[in-house]
Amino acid sequence: MRIPVNWLKEYVKVPDNLSELTGKLTMAGHMLDKLDKVNNDVIVDLELRGNRADCYSILGIAREVSALFNTPLNYPKIYQKSHKVLQLNEVGLKVTSDYLQRVIMIIIRDIKLTQSPNWLKERLEEYGIPAINNIVDLSNYVMLETGQPMHTFDLDRVGKNLTIRLATKGEQMTTFLGETISLTNDDLVWANEKDILSIAGVIGGKLHSISNETKNVLLESASYNQANIRRSVHRHKLLTDAGIRHEKELDPNLVEFGIYRFLELIKENKWGKIENKILDYYPSLTRPWNLNLNFGYLNTLSGRVIEPKKVIEILKRLSFKIIKENSKDLEVECPTYRTDVKSEEDLIEEVLRIDGYDKIPEKILSVEIPKNITPNFINQEQNIKNNLVSLGFDEIISLPFVRQENLRLNKYLFEKITLPVRVVNPPSPDIEEMRMTLFPNLSDFTRKIINERGDEVRLFEVGKIYFKNKKNYIEERKAGICYWSKNKESYFKFKGFLEAFFTKISIVGAIFIEMDSPIFLNSYKISLYGKIVGIGGEIDNIYYAEIDLDKILKDISAPQVTLWPKYPPQIEDITLVVPERTKIGEVIQSIKSVDNNVSEVELIDIYKDSHTFKIWYQDPKKTLDNEEVEKIRVKIVKILSNKGLKIKG
Amino acid sequence: MLSPNDIQNLKNEALAQIMEAKSAEELEGLRIAYLGRQGKLTKLIKEIKRLSGSEKEEVGRLINESKNALLETTASKKNQFKVVRREWFDPTLPGAKVKIGHHHPTTLVINEMYEIFKHLGFSILEGPEIENDEYNFGKLNLPKDHPARSLQDALYIEEPDIVLRTHTSSVEARALSTLIPPFRIVVAGKCYRYENVNASNNAMFYQFQGFALQAGLSMADLKGTLYYFVKSFFGEKREIRFRCKYYPEVEPGAGLDLDCPFCNKKGCAVCKGRGWLEMLGSGMIHPNILKDFGYDPKKISGYAFGMGLDRIVMDKFKIADIRSLYNGDIKYENTG
Repeated sequence: MRIPVNWLKEYVKVPDNLSELTGKLTMAGHMLDKLDKVNNDVIVDLELRGNRADCYSILGIAREVSALFNTPLNYPKIYQKSHKVLQLNEVGLKVTSDYLQRVIMIIIRDIKLTQSPNWLKERLEEYGIPAINNIVDLSNYVMLETGQPMHTFDLDRVGKNLTIRLATKGEQMTTFLGETISLTNDDLVWANEKDILSIAGVIGGKLHSISNETKNVLLESASYNQANIRRSVHRHKLLTDAGIRHEKELDPNLVEFGIYRFLELIKENKWGKIENKILDYYPSLTRPWNLNLNFGYLNTLSGRVIEPKKVIEILKRLSFKIIKENSKDLEVECPTYRTDVKSEEDLIEEVLRIDGYDKIPEKILSVEIPKNITPNFINQEQNIKNNLVSLGFDEIISLPFVRQENLRLNKYLFEKITLPVRVVNPPSPDIEEMRMTLFPNLSDFTRKIINERGDEVRLFEVGKIYFKNKKNYIEERKAGICYWSKNKESYFKFKGFLEAFFTKISIVGAIFIEMDSPIFLNSYKISLYGKIVGIGGEIDNIYYAEIDLDKILKDISAPQVTLWPKYPPQIEDITLVVPERTKIGEVIQSIKSVDNNVSEVELIDIYKDSHTFKIWYQDPKKTLDNEEVEKIRVKIVKILSNKGLKIKG
Repeated sequence: MLSPNDIQNLKNEALAQIMEAKSAEELEGLRIAYLGRQGKLTKLIKEIKRLSGSEKEEVGRLINESKNALLETTASKKNQFKVVRREWFDPTLPGAKVKIGHHHPTTLVINEMYEIFKHLGFSILEGPEIENDEYNFGKLNLPKDHPARSLQDALYIEEPDIVLRTHTSSVEARALSTLIPPFRIVVAGKCYRYENVNASNNAMFYQFQGFALQAGLSMADLKGTLYYFVKSFFGEKREIRFRCKYYPEVEPGAGLDLDCPFCNKKGCAVCKGRGWLEMLGSGMIHPNILKDFGYDPKKISGYAFGMGLDRIVMDKFKIADIRSLYNGDIKYENTG
């Protein structure tokens, strides 16, 4: 809200030092957005609080300044009251919606339509509203001054019977800007027998508003259900000055003040003859309400002690009335324009902000330290990220949606048949379907690096995948691990990383079992004690494995410490001639299972059909002699030859 | 001759001479004089066998120690006289490339913040991203038609009740409905909103949220917590502005701003001429929310705060375009 400082000075004393003014306003909730200068007047542009409808006016800010600096407030002069009636003779009004809380209408005859005088033009210019003619400009002026929007119709064009009602779907109106709007049955409108005159509180139409030929004016000002106005404002994207005020909780009592202020200025400027009768439709009167304020509560909630005397003084500065008072409590009457103050805590904030948030001390949580309740899975995720980083993998984070061209890759990898989750109002087609696997984005990022200049890519993402199962939305935590290398032995290396990763997170006993996959080549599942904990595979030499973090949550054991064995091993390399389609994992397993003293078996070289294994013979309790090793060796050879594998050389 | 004292003296004499030797030759002479076949110490060693049991042991140990000391000192002294012969060696030869791994910058920032809050007794929590209207809005004092809702255009999964959470406050609502106080919680996570993606807006963003529920918590505790965090994370020297601000989820509400480091509060493009950067929103948990979860606001109080993380990550790592954070644009050193 732009506040021209000279205008503000008409109602309240403003400190000479401008930063003193903006500093206090900022601390009290009205942040200085920027300073501006128009016609040599300084404009203070404030970012206002959404719940302070009363502050969207010069007078509202003047009230704040008056309270903050403890200086008196001068209200502007208003017209003497007119005779209230239920209907005007010239125009009938029917109200069929309770979204209307109050409306006041009055007729002004023989208006003198001119250009606005300079003072009026300048004020509007400073705020940023273009000047049109004195009558329209005056209604804008009074809106800025008091916060109450109002509208002037051409009495002779507006028709004899007005209705304030909800539109029917598809009804159309043309705004004074010439834009045609198709209405819904949630838009509150002013209408006559034939046409829609305005969207209530938001924007007026062209045909019935003031023009150069206008002689007599129907002035109206109203108060509406803020939520309804807000829906219309946003539905039709009509952020008008009236709309942004009506969509907040305005005080219905302000309607009268606004109208009388307008009439006063008409009278002073002799711009028309004000009729004596005024229509005031106000079915349910808003009265001031009372709130209790307990001094003890104020002190415990704020963490500082404020003297009751001081509390009372501040509340009075803000025009709250003290109804009752004792040593512990206050009963306070709230002015009706403070629609934001509804509870004791609101009153406490009032006291704190006027006195200054800078007076609140900084206390370091003196109360007892609560139990640590961080769930395991959070530590697990950190642990997994750390370990993948330690293996030379880079972490990525991606938007958890699958790009349109990747949708065929968006399959849940873990067997169950699932449906993707979709956004019904996607801002773009790439932000529509949520991922069921981390693969598509990892694959995109990998290809990007390959194109840049890669020799080798190691990426991972730890994050959620999303799917729908019957009526439920499920989110599961996964780690996606992606590897690509120029090198031909990629699977061999990738599996080395996976095994190292499992070792790092202390998972023992994972086995890889081949399976078919709708997206991957050479696909396999990773099984741990019969549970499927991961799925892996390959596309275009990009190797990928996805680990189900929930499934391995309980299997991660504490890191173990192993000491070097006391007795030396005997180590030998044997080279086997391996027939085609032999599973090497099984060969190693069968060598290991021959004897407990076969402590380790490692594949160290492959040349054509020859595979060289390094075998460790080691007893934790003594040094094995040659004879003992030979016995084990014989058994190994026997088992291998039963499988059709021969020792070379 | 074989008294421990004499041995000690002999050792000290020898060490002193060795330390002062001026050349390799002199050093070698000393070695022979003490440790050679006819050396002074060698002679003593030969005499040990003449001694009786207990004496033998003590003297033997002493001589042995002395011998080792002489050997060590001689060896280290010898290095001083070594003639270094240089062969062709190129220290500018680059090292073999080692692929190292990196955390995502957002993860680094989250972890750093978690660490700070752990010191203050906070636990870490997470919650679902696909949320229902109740937990995302309703239970947070944001009933249907609340003005703040129109500012947060949600991505809907099912209209009007299932959304992608628009803030991490949904985890606060879930914690309030399940946890038993006292508790202090921080949450970092993905949030979503309807946004046309450009350099400064994304449809997904990260938030960092904290809240605590405990009898006796006050605005002063909130301010203390936030100052501790801000000073730990952004540095002792940053200036802080703690001011009144409106958020529907809290009452009283407060905003926290930091001095703009780019212009020293003079006003620049980064701070939009304000001299201050808005950092986080906070306040005492709204009494309506507490009552809704069955608490008496007079008996137990809580505070909450929240901030956007992406802007902080971008400033810390000097990333200009928000899209770069989550679209694979980040190039880590040693990549490729």
